[in-house]
Amino acid sequence: MNACNGKPAELCALPYLEGALPEAEAERFEEHYFDCPACLAYLQNLQAASRGLERLPATPGEPRGMTLLGWPAMNWAMAVAAAILLLAAGVSYRALHSGLKAPQVAQVTPVPAPQAKPSPRPATAPVPRINPSQLADLSLPAFAAPTLRGASEDRQFESGMEAYKRGDCRDALADLSKVPSQSTDARAAEFYCAACEMHLGDLKAAAAGMHSVEDAGDSPQQESALYYEAQIALANNDLAAAHRYLIQTIALQGDLERDARNEDRKVRELANESADEGAEKPESGSQ
Amino acid sequence: MSSDPNDEAGTSPDHSPREIERLIEAVAQGDRNAERQFVERYQPRVRAMLLARTRNHELTADLVQDVMIEALCALRRSQLREASKLTPFVLGIARNLLNGHFRAASRQPDSLDLPDDLPDLNPAASRLEDEERESAAMHALSRLEPLDRSILRMTLVDGLKPGVIAQRLRLKPDVVRQRKLRATRRLIDFLDGRSQIASPVHIVTRQKQ
Repeated sequence: MNACNGKPAELCALPYLEGALPEAEAERFEEHYFDCPACLAYLQNLQAASRGLERLPATPGEPRGMTLLGWPAMNWAMAVAAAILLLAAGVSYRALHSGLKAPQVAQVTPVPAPQAKPSPRPATAPVPRINPSQLADLSLPAFAAPTLRGASEDRQFESGMEAYKRGDCRDALADLSKVPSQSTDARAAEFYCAACEMHLGDLKAAAAGMHSVEDAGDSPQQESALYYEAQIALANNDLAAAHRYLIQTIALQGDLERDARNEDRKVRELANESADEGAEKPESGSQ
Repeated sequence: MSSDPNDEAGTSPDHSPREIERLIEAVAQGDRNAERQFVERYQPRVRAMLLARTRNHELTADLVQDVMIEALCALRRSQLREASKLTPFVLGIARNLLNGHFRAASRQPDSLDLPDDLPDLNPAASRLEDEERESAAMHALSRLEPLDRSILRMTLVDGLKPGVIAQRLRLKPDVVRQRKLRATRRLIDFLDGRSQIASPVHIVTRQKQ
């Protein structure tokens, strides 16, 4: 009988289950818990919890759209924006089907996130059942600190991001656009500038900013930039470009891969519907 | 010998080296009770190990059976002489079968020696213990904050790293690590409390009654 108090399991069980323990250590831990009831019980408890978690329904909002801790003001703003977008989507959808002209969302509501205008179509062109712009997610991306060093050394970036957290895109844009290109936060500043422009409805400038971030190569914002390029393309009713950017996002296999896959599926469905009605598919799109 | 006062007639899953030596000898001599004890002791360990490695319950169930059969057959053939080597011996079989499976060249247990009179390779006591443990785990999980549950789910079920979880939940990676450790500790503390009420030994004893 060994006299272990379970410390090895406290240290190793979680990384062992995550597959994060180096192989040699994993084997040592296995040899230990085979002869240690305390550590075996610890491990079995974690495995039971894992089984329980598989069976429990996911927490609402998980994984995306989780409560933005510490950002109460933006929570409200984004919740209102989401509700208005949903309402607008519903109105547009009904209007499209009833043959009525969909009202311009910007004229009737103070929408924080712009609802993209449907592209002009010839009178004879068939109308897809859902407008691609309704798929576009133009909400402000949450601020993920670009480094773990804490506060930025760049004052403009700091104050810009403070404004960004408040949802004050104009102030954020004013400060972030002054971050010098030599700053370590320059890429992040460029990305959040583009996000602000997107939020304020300047989709052209936003697309250029996102493209610049994406084009700069490997950075913490590269995947997000591609994803939001897709959103802007959708807002512009450009299914082909949206498809292309989503495929590039998926290829990065990052955090947005699943969202990009889901959205790309919808884009392809939409493209197929359009094709059935005489419109072009993304593969043969306008790019 | 186990210090557990409930350990009568070898029902405890814990054995001293001398007891293991006797167990090995008894299995080699065809003692069915010893075989049952061997399965009761090693089946949960092998299952924990294979589940950790595969994260697949069905595959784990299949492989556990194969490991138990192969180990029992080898013990019946007296292929293990040193009691102190029993754990590395069983672990070695488990690792070999697992590697064989991953190489898509999974070996079958030595079917020539496969006897008809094998003990129950998934004992009722073990199943009961699992159910009890899982029910306690569900209860413990329900007491965690939703955010902590999400972090644990992303860690244990989805296999995501703290950095990825942090981005998805809009938190800092350090916050994710802290909350993950705290949630794990709370979970284990709660389950430890429960396990004093319904320990494996109690379950086995209840089962025997």
